[in-house]
Amino acid sequence: MRQVLVLAEGTTGTRRATCALLTVARRLGAPAVVLGGPADPAGTALLGRFGAKTIYPMPAPGPGGQSAAARVEMLVELARRTSPAAILIASGRDGLEIAGRVGVRLDSGVLSDVVDVLDGPVAVQSVRGGSYLVRSRVVRGVPVLAVRTEHITVVPDPATPAVRQVRVAFPAGVYAVRTVRPRTGRTSASPELSTAAVVVTGGRGVGSRAAFDLVNRLAEALGGAAGGSHTATELGWCPRKALVDQVGTIVHPSLYLALGVSGSQRHCAGMRGAATIVAIDSDPAAPIFRLSDLGVVGDVHQVVPELLAEIERRRAQPVISTRTVTEA
Amino acid sequence: MRVVVLVKQVPSEDVGLSFAPDLTVDRGGLPGVLSAGDRIAVDQGLRLAVRVRDVQITAVTMGPLSAREALRTALLLGADNAVHILDEALHGSDALATSLVLAAAAARLEFDLVLCGSASADSGMSAVPAMVAERLAVPGLHFADELLVRERKVEIHRDDGHGDLRVLVADLPAVVSITERCGEPRYPRYVSRVDAREKLISTWSLGTLSIDPAQVGRRGAACVVDAVTPHRPARPRALVEGDPTSTAVRLADFLAEREFL
Amino acid sequence: MTVRLVLGVAIALAAFAVAGRRILLLGRLGMSGQPAEPGRTRGVGGRALALVSEVLGQRKLLKWTVPGAAHFAVFWGFTILFATIVEGFGALFDRDFHIPLIGTHAWLGFLEDTFIVAVLCALAVFAVIRLTQSPQRRGRRSRFFGSHLGPAWLVLFMIFNVMWTLLLYRGAQINTGNFPFSYGAFASEAVARLLAPAGRTANDVLETVGLLASLGVVLAFLVLVLYSKHLHIFLAPLNVAFSRRPRALGALLPVYSGGREVDFEDPDEDDKIGRGVIEDFTWKGMLDFGTCTECGRCQSQCPAWNTGKPLNPKLLIMGLRDHAMAKAPYLLDAGQTNADVLAEAGRPLVGTPDEGGVIDPDVLWSCVTCGACVEQCPVDIEHVDHIVDMRRYQVLIESQFPKEAHTMLRNLERAGDPWGRGARARLEWTAGLPFEVRVLDGGKLPADIEYLLWVGCAGALDENAKKTTRAVAELLHEAGVEFMVLGGEETCTGDAARRLGQEVLFQELAKQNVEKLDAAGVKRIVVTCAHCFNALGNEYPQLGGVYEVLHHTQLLSRLVAEGRLVPEHPVEAAVTYHDPCYLGRHNRVFDPPRDILGNVPGLQLTEMPRHRETSFCCGAGGARMWMEETIGTRINETRTDEALATGADVIAAACPYCIVMLTDGTATRKQEGRAPEDVQVVDVSRLLLRAVRPAGSPPSEKE
Repeated sequence: MRQVLVLAEGTTGTRRATCALLTVARRLGAPAVVLGGPADPAGTALLGRFGAKTIYPMPAPGPGGQSAAARVEMLVELARRTSPAAILIASGRDGLEIAGRVGVRLDSGVLSDVVDVLDGPVAVQSVRGGSYLVRSRVVRGVPVLAVRTEHITVVPDPATPAVRQVRVAFPAGVYAVRTVRPRTGRTSASPELSTAAVVVTGGRGVGSRAAFDLVNRLAEALGGAAGGSHTATELGWCPRKALVDQVGTIVHPSLYLALGVSGSQRHCAGMRGAATIVAIDSDPAAPIFRLSDLGVVGDVHQVVPELLAEIERRRAQPVISTRTVTEA
Repeated sequence: MRVVVLVKQVPSEDVGLSFAPDLTVDRGGLPGVLSAGDRIAVDQGLRLAVRVRDVQITAVTMGPLSAREALRTALLLGADNAVHILDEALHGSDALATSLVLAAAAARLEFDLVLCGSASADSGMSAVPAMVAERLAVPGLHFADELLVRERKVEIHRDDGHGDLRVLVADLPAVVSITERCGEPRYPRYVSRVDAREKLISTWSLGTLSIDPAQVGRRGAACVVDAVTPHRPARPRALVEGDPTSTAVRLADFLAEREFL
Repeated sequence: MTVRLVLGVAIALAAFAVAGRRILLLGRLGMSGQPAEPGRTRGVGGRALALVSEVLGQRKLLKWTVPGAAHFAVFWGFTILFATIVEGFGALFDRDFHIPLIGTHAWLGFLEDTFIVAVLCALAVFAVIRLTQSPQRRGRRSRFFGSHLGPAWLVLFMIFNVMWTLLLYRGAQINTGNFPFSYGAFASEAVARLLAPAGRTANDVLETVGLLASLGVVLAFLVLVLYSKHLHIFLAPLNVAFSRRPRALGALLPVYSGGREVDFEDPDEDDKIGRGVIEDFTWKGMLDFGTCTECGRCQSQCPAWNTGKPLNPKLLIMGLRDHAMAKAPYLLDAGQTNADVLAEAGRPLVGTPDEGGVIDPDVLWSCVTCGACVEQCPVDIEHVDHIVDMRRYQVLIESQFPKEAHTMLRNLERAGDPWGRGARARLEWTAGLPFEVRVLDGGKLPADIEYLLWVGCAGALDENAKKTTRAVAELLHEAGVEFMVLGGEETCTGDAARRLGQEVLFQELAKQNVEKLDAAGVKRIVVTCAHCFNALGNEYPQLGGVYEVLHHTQLLSRLVAEGRLVPEHPVEAAVTYHDPCYLGRHNRVFDPPRDILGNVPGLQLTEMPRHRETSFCCGAGGARMWMEETIGTRINETRTDEALATGADVIAAACPYCIVMLTDGTATRKQEGRAPEDVQVVDVSRLLLRAVRPAGSPPSEKE
């Protein structure tokens, strides 16, 4: 069976995304995980649980080496040595960069926004926010697939992985981009609203200044910035500069959580650029739900404390949920 | 400093796509505009002038005749001149071929910095900036939420997801793709509108770039589309109801699937 | 007599010399402005009528009864008492002078004396008003906040001096037998009785002293007028004569440079776009500045000023005038070396205090263009036009304007609506209507179509406004009126862009719309948005698009009157009606919405204190809808409070902007517990629909 190279997320690959990639990789061949760092027993066990047959730890590229560039070198080297059936990469910011660079280096076709992978490999791509599904194939080189793993149902299939060290000579280019200030993990300081990756806003449904603390707490839990709708700022529940609105701050976060915001035209104009939108509101007819990727019909005062508790539980005891993903 | 801004034309709004019989996206009938990210890229180019001397901005696009509108907008926003790569053979080019052409154009123009907007997700072109950097064999800094260019150095702020933020630096020449978080572009003055009419748009063909037509377009594509099926409207997706505990768990799952927890 | 003559003539010559020099300077300064746009002299008849009603009849002043009446007395006093000045000059040469023909008629003497007394009474009224309205006591709420107070008191004092010297002279004249009137001049006779005991010689002296004092005071007053805000005595008639008729509301003027409309496609090298420096204003602008009397009627109605914002139309005009005067030496002599003058000349027209700006940007961008100031101004100053002209320069030339508005402009450019939703979203409002809305898809309007329904961006995209559009569509359907919509072919009329000063974008959008409307052969349009109504009806003719444009309240009230709509189902509610500025003040549509409300059984209409011409803006006009309101209190909440104070269950309006603003206002008040939970803000048409729709028919909207 041919190998399928799976690029691990993070350095150890112990994230859900890696498990999702392994789940689809098994359909194409023998999954081999390429790590972004050294292997550790816990990581190896987890990857094994989801069917990794081989694990390639990455030799440290030395001080100043940038991980994306080093991983490109690893993937190119391994692809040349093992001619895999495909290279699977989770479609994040690093992932897209790596996929593109590997594609050029191998002169291989790259497919992005893959939401499912069938034998062949045939990739199912989501186009225009899912309005269309496109089936595509790579006809030249090693298929490089950038997969949006949130669409993949993670299924375990235990295997015993072999950890294989590989020697890779890192060229000078690996050191071309340097990280000068890593800020890893959630920082206590709340980020700027306009550049925040996660934004949580509260609206009329929050009901009072006291209850607005829920918005701040959820923002903090997700490492995001807290904002308010027109009503919330108007009533002084949050500062005016936290207004998310066409006439306030226009935000472009990766995740936008709207709590008790009905979704006026002006508000929507201020947050439509968010990549993922989640809304909680008690009115099922609230216009915000028309924009949301996930809408929760419920009382902010009840759902948010439960959510905060659930987040805390998961932080304390990380699990990789293998629950079936349901899409409306 | 020579800045090359790679721009593209996108439909002016969320319209249903139409697909030509060859399963390429039919852009013929759609009104197109300069993509929001590229507007910001041009604007960021202009902002360099504060720190860097003699900034010369060239906007480059590849596409059908209608793509010229995107170039006009780029000129209006402040680019000094523009290059339109127009060639019948380019129709149906995939990301790999697109990057080949754009990289060749940037190389021909000679550059200190290549700027472009990060393509919106699911445009199929989100890996192009990385490909261009790889082809030009220069450092690539992608998804910049903040951009700082000095005489010989470029620095970006970047959000890697999971709450990880990094500041990356590289020497020029380099390729930088930026996000909409860099900030709204400034609104152009009326004089820029008037001046834009005088600015030059050069048209280049594959011949100009010495690219073999067999390497691009449908013929040179490394990927093929087998089928296109309408799926469902983009949004809304899911609406969940129920008791607070179960909806909270569902919410947490959703966030975990997208790596937000 | 010789002494009298020499002194009198000397005083007169001196005064005329000073006055003449000043008049020359003012004239040259006025002419240093740009040529005005054409049409300032068009319609002589109308202009004459305006002079009769506004100058002679004091129409606008009399809107405020007490100060109006007092001003009426002073105005006519000075006009009539011009006769006494003639008499006085005559008396320099001939002690027994009287005006030929009528000069000895008793009625003239009586009239003169009546007005002397009337002016004295008016002075007392003015003094009381100035004391009670003193800025020291009332601060910002004072009409005279920031006005020149000293000169104003001086003017009152000088008028008083004119009056008493005149009485002294006339009384003495009676005693010396030189008075032209044998009887009728009752006040002068009373003074004469007081002076009589002093004897003949004393009265001879008093006569000469009185005459010289009277003439001296009048001439000093003339000089004072030329050097003060009291210039309006001479300029007001000119300003009214050359004002935009019937009023400087409704359409905005296109951008003019050097008296010609600017062609943005092919602009001239030295075209001036908007007003970037004081001399960019036209001579009419300069005339406006010179005419302002600092009376403060404009500010009393200004929504910005009354909610604590820095814009005050009076102070704006005064600021421009004072700057023009201070810069005058430079304007009239470019070789000027005086440091103060050069410093003044270097001030930016619009800039923060740090930059030494004449007008603060916060002042410029606070204006909602509601036109309340223009409506009030007794001398027809065109505040809104000046503000928009300055905005035009800031937007088109400097690109300096609130950043929220950048978003709105970009959305208009990219998607054709201010929210950036795009053409596809424009038919969402039709979903679920029990009949099909006919959409014109290219080609000409079919012959059976009576009206094109112009939906507008808000009407197509805003949640509340969509309900209004649906109600209007249902009512038209109910009345059997055949209508069509343009659907995705419609784009913003450009109103907000134009009010913001982005004239180029306005013209692009407007030309696009005119082309489509003309291609479809559209003749009659019905529109639900007051802003679209104004743009389509008043401004598109500037671009060659001439249509009969009706506001939906006009058409609906007509349909009710014709019996095609029968509001028979009672709607039991107390209602108040908010006049949208661009429907009411700008376009004088006051009655149709009230007629509709009056025809709905059960509705009890209570007017707000400020209604019709004096309606208080909701805060969204002048592109303020697209800017954040950070200074002072919110205009919309102020207006909402006024509406709530009527005890209304329903606040009705007839413009989607107003409804957005008042809905926001009531929502805030409800949250604060200061408004009943069930108060609604709705369009007039939705109330009509509730009354018309037969019971049991499927409701078209979720209430």
